[in-house]
Amino acid sequence: MSIIGDVIESTKAIIKGMGVTFSYIPKGKWTVEYPDEPVTVQPRYRGQHLLHVDEYGREKCVACFLCAAACPSECIYIIAKDDPRSPMERIGIEERYAEVYNIDYGRCIFCGYCVEACPKDAITHGYNFELSVYNRADLLKTKDDLLITKQVQSRNYRVASSEEDVDSEYKEV
Amino acid sequence: MSTELIKVTINGKEFQVAKGARLIDVCREQGFNIPSFCYYADLALQASCRMCLVRIEKMPKLQTSCTITCTDGMVVTTESEEIEKAQRAMVEFLLANHPLDCPICDRGGECELQEMAFDWGNLEERFTERKNAQPEKYLSPIVANDPQRCILCKRCTRVCDEWMGEDAIEAGGRGANTVIGTFGGWLNCSECGNCIEVCPTGTLLDATYRHQARPWELQQTVTTCTYCSDGCQESVGSRAGEVMRVVARDRYVNGHNGEFLCIKGRFAHTFINDETRLRTPMIRYKKGGKLIPATWDEAVKFATRGLDKAAEAHGANSIAVVGSPRLTNESLYALKKFATELVGTENYTATDAFSLSPFFQNLGGQIATHRDIRHAKTIVLIGGEPEELQPFAGKQIRQAVRNGGAKLVIINSTPIRLKERATQFLHINPETEDAAVLAIFNQAHNELAARKMGVQETELIELRRTITNTEGDVVIMFGGEVSAEAQSLLAQMPYLFNKEGRRALLHPLPLYNNSVGATDMGLMYGKLGATEMLDAAGDSVHAMYVAGSFLPQHLTGREDSLGKLDFLVVQELFETETTRFADVVFPAASFAEADGTFTNSGGLVQRVRQTIPPVNQSKQDWVITAQLSKELGVDFGFQMSASAVFGEIAERIPAYAGLRYPLLKDETNPVQVKHATIEQRDLSQESEAIRARVEKMSDTATKINATPPVGHELFKIGTLTDKLPQMHLLASGNPKPPTLAVSPLYQITVDAGMKREAIGGD
Ligand code: SF4
Ligand code: SF4
Ligand code: SF4
Ligand code: FES
Repeated sequence: MSIIGDVIESTKAIIKGMGVTFSYIPKGKWTVEYPDEPVTVQPRYRGQHLLHVDEYGREKCVACFLCAAACPSECIYIIAKDDPRSPMERIGIEERYAEVYNIDYGRCIFCGYCVEACPKDAITHGYNFELSVYNRADLLKTKDDLLITKQVQSRNYRVASSEEDVDSEYKEV
Repeated sequence: MSTELIKVTINGKEFQVAKGARLIDVCREQGFNIPSFCYYADLALQASCRMCLVRIEKMPKLQTSCTITCTDGMVVTTESEEIEKAQRAMVEFLLANHPLDCPICDRGGECELQEMAFDWGNLEERFTERKNAQPEKYLSPIVANDPQRCILCKRCTRVCDEWMGEDAIEAGGRGANTVIGTFGGWLNCSECGNCIEVCPTGTLLDATYRHQARPWELQQTVTTCTYCSDGCQESVGSRAGEVMRVVARDRYVNGHNGEFLCIKGRFAHTFINDETRLRTPMIRYKKGGKLIPATWDEAVKFATRGLDKAAEAHGANSIAVVGSPRLTNESLYALKKFATELVGTENYTATDAFSLSPFFQNLGGQIATHRDIRHAKTIVLIGGEPEELQPFAGKQIRQAVRNGGAKLVIINSTPIRLKERATQFLHINPETEDAAVLAIFNQAHNELAARKMGVQETELIELRRTITNTEGDVVIMFGGEVSAEAQSLLAQMPYLFNKEGRRALLHPLPLYNNSVGATDMGLMYGKLGATEMLDAAGDSVHAMYVAGSFLPQHLTGREDSLGKLDFLVVQELFETETTRFADVVFPAASFAEADGTFTNSGGLVQRVRQTIPPVNQSKQDWVITAQLSKELGVDFGFQMSASAVFGEIAERIPAYAGLRYPLLKDETNPVQVKHATIEQRDLSQESEAIRARVEKMSDTATKINATPPVGHELFKIGTLTDKLPQMHLLASGNPKPPTLAVSPLYQITVDAGMKREAIGGD
């Protein structure tokens, strides 16, 4: 085959490809302007976990290990401790609390089993999703990262109301 | 139970069962699941939970199978709508007042009530009335209590009474207000924790493990207790290299002790991960200088150089090798091999409180296992105090008397608590145990012995009559009070009392978990004993290799003996009085980090299994010995495997012939080593020596009249028990704290001033 033949063939291919590109320009845009605009997430979105506290600020987790037992990727590590003080002085709502509560986001598959297992509604999935780090060890999050009183919430998401059709954002307009 | 067979029909199938068998056992053996709470095979019947209901033809109502003895032609139904309805109703009642707080209950995950609720519980609670809430509290430094979770099965009270003879925990109140409680609200018992173990719910809990972990997170390893010579089988729960708890629950382990453990076995395990464990090998480069951390290589080289130098200067016999009766058979064997085959010294021993070698050298009969004690017809206890020193043996004696109707004869200079159970108590003058042995051996000495012991001659005659009238087993037990000669006489007693239909069995009461093993491995047959060796330090002994430490009773009056040595190598868990003078210290692994075997006082050789990897840089004792010998140019060929060491033991030591680890795998059927028995021999020399000594005893000695308090030995602070803070509370008299809602540990400061003085033999 000659060189000229080659040139003709590739020019044809480029024109075909660019045709598809140009045909999309007048159509509606699907792009989410992240991080300039917040992402809208479903109310049931499963982001980084939150450990909750009660109305007095006491941790709800009683270190029962049920979340760790339910976790299929074994990424929850807890050390339980006895807190003998009177109910209002305690760290948690009961005499038993989690001294250490770690989730390894290098392993977590965001299945939500831990949330389902928790008898105290102490753990839920939050909406934070920006979990990338420069160092693999930083994927291990401790109680300081997970407690609802301590976890810094990203400004880059917006939770949809339950009636809202979130997916419309991504549909053709 | 007779061997006669009768016919029982269960769920339409016919079975041949032994006459007198209990229905619940028969059903379970045949594979019919019968739920139960209050039934416990080793305890008196209770029939309070009503879970075990069955329908028996010709009986009007549903019957509790736990109380029914099978009769010929009985027709039983275990599964029907009617029965299930009744059982579900029972669970509903049991849960009516239950707090349902499984997430914070330490029993959650291994709770019989939880399991029962899964199978027989209804999903919905119909009771909407307010529950009879009661606060959680502490009953003692080691027993936590949540009264609301109780189902009143009374296993705890029965265990406390029948096993322990304490009666410290009882049910109080009536009807719906019945609670399990203690006299005066505080437990002043031997703190065995067996009530915790048998409780099917989370009512009684281990306060030392309170809210620490959950059972399914723990790795359970079956091993042997490291404290006394009873050799209880226990299950060690560990997590991430840390020992969290010790239990004997039958779902994890089923040894000869059943679910029994004592306070030390069950709670005093905190030494394993204690911060003060030795971290690295250490070398003292200059006498009187400081111990400086070193690498293993350096330390091993330094140690061998030092031993070599001593051997060159003063000969092989100037090196002494000392083991500890706490070590495994494997480690003791390696030490003995090191001493005799490598160094070639005659000076080796183990730091035991007393030696059993005269006993084993004259053994004329069988050793009684703990099972034999439980089923004995007569028990003769000479000296010793099993309730405090060998708690499981103590329990077997109590049950033999209480549940088995055995006769118990106690010969002791102290009115020990066990005398309450005795058929006959010979309250003798202090230190006259030998006289008793002499009189039992030969009644010709009755008059002399009685006079010196301060008892009536008729008492000795009665004692002899008790033995000779026995049909079944006579178990003769003795403690460390008897002399070496008296041990020989005792060892030959089976020849005097064995008869058609009667066996005389022997049971020594040494103090340590492997005292018998130390004797078997030959370490107790050296030229010098522990104290003699200390006396010879700097004189004929110039260097010492010690695995473990000397006991405080060895060192009293000889505090500086070890300082007189040219060279001292010690392998230990902690810094002790012995490491104070050491030139090289190796960190050794505890029983929880080692593989091996212990031989208990009943001659059972039982496995010790590694539960966690060695803490810090420690190594198992026999590994250190093998490493030293390798450096000295001899490879023991153990290939870094404990089973290879045991293989060699089985080859070289006749009593262990043919044994291998696989044969010791099943803790349910422990293996007794075959100690060689010797022919009946002439003991006139020994008895003459005893007689001469007895003659010299005073006629007018004063008796000890006070019964020592519970725990006077059990709660003693030793190197290992020292690491359990609760033990210090108990040792200082178990004070009742101002409030029971919080663990006494947080309320009472354990300071040095509160410690009872540390004396030997923890
Ligand atoms: S299941 Fe809930 S209460 Fe239990 S340990 Fe997990 S977060 Fe804590
Ligand atoms: S405390 Fe436990 S063992 Fe005792 S009666 Fe209650 S449930 Fe039974
Ligand atoms: S009775 Fe002896 S062997 Fe058993 S748990 Fe207690 S100390 Fe350990
Ligand atoms: S087991 Fe029979 S009544 Fe409890």
